Amino acid sequence: MRAPIGFRISNRRRSLKISQAALARLVGISPSYLNLIENNKRDVGGALLQRVALHLDISIDDLTGQAEQKLLQDLEEAYADPMIESLPFQFDERRQLVAQYPASAAALARLHRAYSDAVASADAYADRLRSDPLLGQLLHQVLSGVTAVRSSAEILEDTPDLDEGERQRFITAIGRETRNLGAVARNLIGHFENASAERRGISPAREIDDLLVDRANYFPKLEEVAGLLRREIEQDGPFGVRTLTDVLERRHGIRTVVGGEPPAGQPDFPGQYRYFPEISTMWLQGATTLATRQFQLARLYGEVAADDVIEAELAEADLSSPTAIRLARRALGSYLTGALVFPYSAFLEAAVGVRYDIDQLRQGYNASYEQVAHRLVSMRRPGEEGVPFGFLRSDPAGRLTKHFPLPGLLLPYSGHACPLWAIYGAFRTPDLAQRQVVRFSDGSRYLFVARTVQRRPAAFHEPPVMASVMLACNVLHADQTVYSQGLNLADTEADVRVGPTCRLCVRTDCASRQEEPLAPAPGRPELRTSLVPKGLALGARG
Amino acid sequence: MGGNLAVDILIAEDEPSILESLVFILRRAGWSVESVTDGGAVLDGVRGFRPRVLVLDVMLPSRSGFDVLKQLRADGGTRSLPVLILTAKGQQQDKRIAEELGADGFVTKPYSNAEVVNAVRQLLGEDGGPA
Repeated sequence: MRAPIGFRISNRRRSLKISQAALARLVGISPSYLNLIENNKRDVGGALLQRVALHLDISIDDLTGQAEQKLLQDLEEAYADPMIESLPFQFDERRQLVAQYPASAAALARLHRAYSDAVASADAYADRLRSDPLLGQLLHQVLSGVTAVRSSAEILEDTPDLDEGERQRFITAIGRETRNLGAVARNLIGHFENASAERRGISPAREIDDLLVDRANYFPKLEEVAGLLRREIEQDGPFGVRTLTDVLERRHGIRTVVGGEPPAGQPDFPGQYRYFPEISTMWLQGATTLATRQFQLARLYGEVAADDVIEAELAEADLSSPTAIRLARRALGSYLTGALVFPYSAFLEAAVGVRYDIDQLRQGYNASYEQVAHRLVSMRRPGEEGVPFGFLRSDPAGRLTKHFPLPGLLLPYSGHACPLWAIYGAFRTPDLAQRQVVRFSDGSRYLFVARTVQRRPAAFHEPPVMASVMLACNVLHADQTVYSQGLNLADTEADVRVGPTCRLCVRTDCASRQEEPLAPAPGRPELRTSLVPKGLALGARG
Repeated sequence: MGGNLAVDILIAEDEPSILESLVFILRRAGWSVESVTDGGAVLDGVRGFRPRVLVLDVMLPSRSGFDVLKQLRADGGTRSLPVLILTAKGQQQDKRIAEELGADGFVTKPYSNAEVVNAVRQLLGEDGGPA
């Protein structure tokens, strides 16, 4: 887009009270040509622009207006908002506004930004209400209190022959419960006051999360097309790296290159694989495992052959930002690949057969631990369901980098989880699965199974890239998996008492706590205080 | 625990006020009632009191009602014991888990007393009969 440079020339000229004809003469062009420039109908640059700037005593940067360009982009975004886009704006109205009333334009852009943030914040809030354990606990207390009051009141109303002792008992109960309810209500109010100070915007990752929850981690159309593609591939030979390489070449003219430098693009590209559409070439780093090669070739085949199905799913998904759309396209591509490599019914049967032993499943499908764990999460076909699993991945710094939700279990979206979780313990025993039965403060119990995974380094001197992946399932389903072997799931004594993250956790007696909860209980001591409370010096009482 | 006489109903509920009114309304309806207040005590309670119906709260200390239900269903002696689940969460998720684990009835707090009495009566097979 052309910057509104003409308007700026015109404004500056008028503020200096120079006529159009005079300026035209000074810079050596005809008045009519200057008129075209000032109305943005001709570009101006090079030596002519320098002469204009010189005679108007203004820098070229101010005339070309980098900052105003940014402002114009912000305005474009605001004007594209569905709420106002149907208004009868004049052609070029935004540009004129930026040039003539820059402060007003900035005000509009800022207000729109604030409005977008407010909407995102409301969304995030709604999200939080659904999954906040503190709030859940308080609401549970409210419901319990109301139950007791209602039940006691009904007894007093409906039982004509209560003796005095019984009557007194239920009246006392009502009094006690209503007093409790008052305290809970005050706590609730305090919770909201604390929580409102904590706002964060809605993230693209959260949008993807909502999409996955909405579809229960299962995309029937992708499963269907994956089935078709798999049969198509298998016409050329058994499913695997060789056949995939052949069909990519034969059906789509895509060449596969393994090892060496990437054939194009930036030479320092750090990834393990890359597709170069301009030369129809798929490059795989020499150190990639067969599992990675198979998966990424299958991904390429799926993305090329079923692009329309992925786009149709995206269109249905109602995502708000370009980042969210990009991430969702990638996620749906991964899903399709999973469905291609691990066909639903056969994979579920195999999984049930080995009681979800990921290591055994890897053998059967030439797949990586993470690929198998990831696919297990999608076994949610109505009428043909496997054990419901949630999935998390963490880098060695504790940052969560991938996330598939499990209804009922609060898995953090990003940042870090509870330090007691097996996903972190797994880093202490690389390549060895860690399992634990955890209990949250609301009494819900889950089996966590975590293991480190490692990307092969390309050369001796390269540091290994490690991650830990974790599957979570409700303890009520855990006996269907190999990971409960030898555990007495009914014995709750050895449960690891965990939370979601410190901020969202209500446990007051946890030695691993590193941060205050969002809504600290009144009267509870704070973290990291001095040993001797302030104002209570030694000897003061003696 | 371990009385010789079987009771009609065993209640597992930890909120004292709720327990008090539950015991009252169910006794008033003509049944014999015993109670436990801890998740860990339910299985012993079932063995000792041999109730005809178990009224089981989900949120119990030391062991959740769902855990207890799962164990009851795994044991041949208690597999067919009718169980009425009480929950204060009222979430779809709770109801689904209760059904999956083989609960026979499900009442959401706050309930009316008549709801509980009717649900218990149904599980005792006393529909239509006088209380």
